[in-house]
Amino acid sequence: MTTARAATLPRGALVARAWAGLGDAVAPLSNPAGRPLTRTVKLILDPLVLRPVLHPEFAAGAIAVEHADALVSRIADAGPVLAATASWFAVLKRERRRRWITDGNPQDLYFQRCFELATAHGEPGPDAADVAADVLAEVHGREGPTVAALRDHVTDPANATELTELLASAWAARAPEPVPHTPPATSAFLATCAVAPDRALFDALVAGRAGTAGAAGLDRPGVALAHGLTSRDVPVRPELGRDASKANLPRPFDRSIVQRLFAPLTNAFQRAGLADVPTLVRREIARSAGPWQLAAEESRLVVVLGRDASADLVGPPAGEPGSAAARLRSRWEREAYVHRVLRVPSAAPPEVRADVRGVREAYLRRLWVRLHGRELRHDPVTPDQVWDVLDGVLRSVILDQRDRLRSALEREAVA
Amino acid sequence: MRVTRAADVVVGDWPTSPEVVALLECSGALLAWDVLADDPVPAARVHDPGRAAEWLWEIYGDAADAILGDAEEVAATDPGDRHVRDACRRAAQLNWAGAWWPASVTAGVPALDPAVLHAELAVALSTVEHLLDDPDAVERALASVVEPDASEPALTALAERVVALAEDYGVVLRPAEVPVRSGYALAAGGSALAGTTALSGSSTVDWALVPHGAVDAAAPATWAVVRRQGRTVLEVSVVPGPTPTARLAARFGEVDVTLDGVDEAGRITGSTPVSAAVLLLPPDRRVLTVHAPGFAEPAAPDPDAAARRDAIIAYARARTSSPTATLTERTAR
Repeated sequence: MTTARAATLPRGALVARAWAGLGDAVAPLSNPAGRPLTRTVKLILDPLVLRPVLHPEFAAGAIAVEHADALVSRIADAGPVLAATASWFAVLKRERRRRWITDGNPQDLYFQRCFELATAHGEPGPDAADVAADVLAEVHGREGPTVAALRDHVTDPANATELTELLASAWAARAPEPVPHTPPATSAFLATCAVAPDRALFDALVAGRAGTAGAAGLDRPGVALAHGLTSRDVPVRPELGRDASKANLPRPFDRSIVQRLFAPLTNAFQRAGLADVPTLVRREIARSAGPWQLAAEESRLVVVLGRDASADLVGPPAGEPGSAAARLRSRWEREAYVHRVLRVPSAAPPEVRADVRGVREAYLRRLWVRLHGRELRHDPVTPDQVWDVLDGVLRSVILDQRDRLRSALEREAVA
Repeated sequence: MRVTRAADVVVGDWPTSPEVVALLECSGALLAWDVLADDPVPAARVHDPGRAAEWLWEIYGDAADAILGDAEEVAATDPGDRHVRDACRRAAQLNWAGAWWPASVTAGVPALDPAVLHAELAVALSTVEHLLDDPDAVERALASVVEPDASEPALTALAERVVALAEDYGVVLRPAEVPVRSGYALAAGGSALAGTTALSGSSTVDWALVPHGAVDAAAPATWAVVRRQGRTVLEVSVVPGPTPTARLAARFGEVDVTLDGVDEAGRITGSTPVSAAVLLLPPDRRVLTVHAPGFAEPAAPDPDAAARRDAIIAYARARTSSPTATLTERTAR
């Protein structure tokens, strides 16, 4: 054992120790093994208690031994407010059940509200049910943009003509952006982004407009198609649209403006923090005419990073060991083994085959949808989140594929 | 336990054949138990030491530090609190059962109830959610759960837990359907087809080539070359499992047969005209391989597989009455 290793402790172990000290009072925020729930860490402990932005020594990963006690006592000090958070969560869940609310994940929707309530009121008092009712009304209320409001807005004759014109002029004004002769290469950032993301390199790629430069050529026949972003040979201006459903959404560039806004509006968690409908629609129109049909240079850059990192999924391995490309490839190769162990079909039924063959296209589609959703929520990808996004998108593509292979099999067994 | 370091860090002896592996996909590492070895401590294959460091101590205790350092040999120490390791084992065992449980009327291994399996898996995953690769694993597992039937005393506690879990994650459970667990008939008596059998034989079915539950895990697939009305016909039959799949096929030498019939004994059958030259095939090529098209392509059998399958069948039979087995295994019937 080297001294360098001995000088750190896994944060997971320290959090588990501190959490165990809080006892049963935080059980509603814990899993059956007594550890904090994944979302307790993500939504409460990280952003509200440990706050690694202010206290980098508490960031996920290895914690230096000299900070270990401070981390444990920080959680212990938050004990009363965490206990009250847990009590409020129980109250909200009870109230939710009483009102037959089934929309959204209660942990996603209420955890931070509960922490706010705990900070403001302490433990729930005699008026707890009323307070909870107000919170639920706010979270699940009809306030904020909805699909119905979106449909009304775009189909209202007073708006429709103007919006159609706006769409036409935005697309007519699409000039090929001046592109630097050689956009900065992504390889240096991708080489280390999984373990030591280099903020300066990321900023240089944003400043050098590597994302925008990477969109050059998408209008040439077959290029956007090869990226999996359209089913057409050349992307065309989107329709304004009026209806949408979650099933059978077309590929990203083929979606109408309404279809692009549909998914974020139907998810209670994502809907919070969205702009009002007229603003959303105008921004979406402008976005659709931009490079990659995205608005922010950071998002465009992440698409290009994803495109470069996913090249190894289909081609010969080119990524250096430890690079994002090599790591994505290793996840993909691991999946072949997991398939055998879980007895997932090795020969794909025809309806899934296209997905398996086109893993890189499925990857880029999913990545685009994520980045689009984050733009709507004003939640840009930061340099240290890049790897989690790139890796998480592949995981999600792989797991969906597994589910589809399984359900194709079940359908066959029933037939 | 040995620690080998290549592209991945491998701890312990990684089980070799897929059908003995109880697997759990954790953040930064895979964990595997060999179901036939019965060791509470799993083997691990660490591909991202940074992520795995967060939880590896829950499995190996203090040895986790040496595993992620440069040790070549570690003694697994007790993690103190075994809750998490045991729950990982349970989730992995359920993954194994869902893939390889060898239901067989012939061998007396009862079928699992998929509803119990999915419910128990969701609960097991929720216990170890914090170390799983997929942050949405619990929601994903709950999506397969049907509203449990709490009337059966053995299942009441599980039903209550999974309902509470679904509520915690905002998942609306699918309503229970009419149970599809089919009673399947044991092959008995010969087929009524007339003809003179010139050659016959049998071979075991390679589990990896057919979906789970499609065929009886222990019954052999049989073949016969029959002379009938001046023609030579290859006939194949196989005993179905608890969830027979629509499409099965067999390959005998170079000949492919679609198994699309059912005989009066309930066996899945198929036949195809063959050239009489099939009778001249050397014995080592008279091998019948049953497979499910769209699931796997026929592959050469592994000579050790039959013994391993027998061991797994004996293991599964013992699990149905073992107090340490999962509820899914204990309620198989």
